[in-house]
Amino acid sequence: MHEGGEVQILLAEDNPRDAEMTMRALRKIHFTDRLQWVRDGEEALEFLLGQGRHAGRDVASVPKLILLDLKMPKVDGIEVLRRIKASDALRAIPVVIMTSSAEERDIVEAYDLGVNSYIVKPVQFQDFIDTVAKVGLYWILTNRAPN
Amino acid sequence: MMLPRLRFRSLSRKLMVGVLMTSLAALLVTGLALLAYDLRSFHERQVGDLATQAEILGRSTAAALQFDDPKFASDSLALLSVRPSIRAGAIYNAKGALFASYLHEGEAKASLPALPDIDGYQVSGRTISYTRRIVADGEILGTVYLRADYEFYSRLLGYLAIVATVGFLSLGVSWLLSLWLQKTITQPIVDMAAVARQVVERRDYSLRARKTTEDEVGYLVEAFNDMLSEIGRRTEDLERFSAALQVEIAERSASERALRVSERRNRTLVEAASSVVWTADRDLRFVAAQPAWQAYTGQSPEGCAGEGWRNAFHPGDIDVLERQWSLARSGDGAFECTLRLWHAASAAHHYVVLRAAPVLDGEQGILEWIGTIADVDDRHRAEAEIRKLNETLERRVAERTRELEATNRELEGFSYSVSHDLRSPLRAIVGYSQMLEEDFGSRLDEEGRRLLTVVRDEAGRMGRLIDDLLSFSRISRQAVDAGAEVDMTDLAREVAADLLRERDPTRVKLDVWPLPRARGDRALLRQVWVNLLSNAIKYSGTKSLSEILVTGESNDGIAHYRVADNGVGFDMKYAPKLFGVFQRLHRSEEFEGTGVGLAIVQRIVTRHGGGVRADGRPGEGATFHFSLPAGGGDA
Repeated sequence: MHEGGEVQILLAEDNPRDAEMTMRALRKIHFTDRLQWVRDGEEALEFLLGQGRHAGRDVASVPKLILLDLKMPKVDGIEVLRRIKASDALRAIPVVIMTSSAEERDIVEAYDLGVNSYIVKPVQFQDFIDTVAKVGLYWILTNRAPN
Repeated sequence: MMLPRLRFRSLSRKLMVGVLMTSLAALLVTGLALLAYDLRSFHERQVGDLATQAEILGRSTAAALQFDDPKFASDSLALLSVRPSIRAGAIYNAKGALFASYLHEGEAKASLPALPDIDGYQVSGRTISYTRRIVADGEILGTVYLRADYEFYSRLLGYLAIVATVGFLSLGVSWLLSLWLQKTITQPIVDMAAVARQVVERRDYSLRARKTTEDEVGYLVEAFNDMLSEIGRRTEDLERFSAALQVEIAERSASERALRVSERRNRTLVEAASSVVWTADRDLRFVAAQPAWQAYTGQSPEGCAGEGWRNAFHPGDIDVLERQWSLARSGDGAFECTLRLWHAASAAHHYVVLRAAPVLDGEQGILEWIGTIADVDDRHRAEAEIRKLNETLERRVAERTRELEATNRELEGFSYSVSHDLRSPLRAIVGYSQMLEEDFGSRLDEEGRRLLTVVRDEAGRMGRLIDDLLSFSRISRQAVDAGAEVDMTDLAREVAADLLRERDPTRVKLDVWPLPRARGDRALLRQVWVNLLSNAIKYSGTKSLSEILVTGESNDGIAHYRVADNGVGFDMKYAPKLFGVFQRLHRSEEFEGTGVGLAIVQRIVTRHGGGVRADGRPGEGATFHFSLPAGGGDA
């Protein structure tokens, strides 16, 4: 969990089990201390826009990666994605959708909105761990985003 | 009281009673009058007779009294014996003492009174007594007493007997008389009554009453007979008339029936005749009679004459007719249009096709018009019906489509939540058991780790089942783009290469011969190859060398494909179960799998309009056949 300093990864995930497994995978590559976990789409937007529960946060400091679940209470992942890509300040942040849904229409809609990557969470734990680790390493370390 | 009873008596009886009563009454009155007169004169004669006797006795005995000679007086009295009716006689002197007496034989002396004190006669019972003073020269000498039988009652009885006898006789005569009267007066009437009764009963007016007399009764009989013959004649007339009437009625109903038949025939003819021919002058006016037109429209000859025929059209269609007519006139051409015309037989407007053609004259242009009316009402109605049915059908199809779309959306929503919601807990089960092993594996013994592995494997298997089920349901509702040409040789080889990439090439020999092209959805057909080829590899894995051969050919626009392997095969009696969802012929320990692969194959092939089947024998391999619509270019 993030405690001060610059947030590198924003994890929007309503399922605490998935969140824990994601964080475990990221811990293996030593990213956990710079991760912010939000439980729904509404909080994700509040964090990004410095409002509500995250009022006063320095919005100029944007995360390097957003891991977004699709099916979340209140505001779902698609809506969060739409708002991010509609915002000039946030559009450049890489958004990776990690979801249980392999529905074609979800994939199509996400790409229409400009998602950077769409990943179906593997059921197998090892695959899951490997996938999350690969995603983290790639987007944080390999990928070059505008400053 | 007597009248009502009389009323029911017959006439002859009444007559008889009348005659008898009348004669009886006359007889009674006469008899009683005679009786009274006779009795009275009888009485006077008897009294007079006694008085005369007493006078004679008084005179003859006056001297005896004067000379007190009882002997003489007794002799005078003895003369009374010649009159047997005088029963006793006595002479009293002036002092009232008995002077002389006479008694008829059998009479007692004591029956003489001591001294009769009355002068005159006295009737007592069956005797009459007479007393008279004997006076001579104004001096009373004595008294004469005479007693005689008084025969008044016997005379009365005799008289009554006579009256009764005469009465009976006269009644008999009256009865005979009335019999005669009956014969002459009532018999003809009785006969007449019998005849009248017979006439009433037998309705025979030829009967006649017999006329026997020339009196009023005869006249009555004659009048009765006249009346009978008059009634007979009238009845005869009536019957003749009624018979004539019946004949007439029968004739009329026959002719009415004939009329009806002919009317119906005409109507049927008119109804059946779909074509009516008409002629009109150059200005499209009816001039000649138009029997066919009139029969169809029911217009009268006057009604359709001139331009009247146009009135038979539906008012809303007159404009159409006028327009066509003016167009035709300016172009000198025939015209044809569909209009509603009054159809008299069905009392409704019928759709008809009016065709008109001008009869041309060399110089003067149009000479006249000739045309037809074709009844197309049935066709029109049928077309309208079909239109309505089509609309209904379309509406129903749209409804069904909407319903299906709604059902599809529901299904999609369902599978969406299945894919999302069911997988998450599975992932957690797998993940957490992995985490348990990673973090606490050192503290578990071998059995503990084995149990953890079972949990993880089973959860993983469930995840695959869910995934397969989802892809099966996706294929079922996914739209199939079956129009594309697919090179099946390429596709099968591509899939085979993918599947063999991680296999030992020395243990698997997979040949794909040239295959006919198919028409269908490439992505779905790829899935067919994946499932069939991976099945073939999987179930021949027990052999030291898996041998798989893919062949195919095309005929009659249908492409046939075969995938044959040398694997474990199957018993043909289980063939129908092969393609069912979650149906497996092997235990999962023997061969991995969820039992959805062949169901997906069948679903895809079926949705392309093709078929699928399998041949096999246990231990001798299996061959899967499937067919698809053939593509254009053949291999």
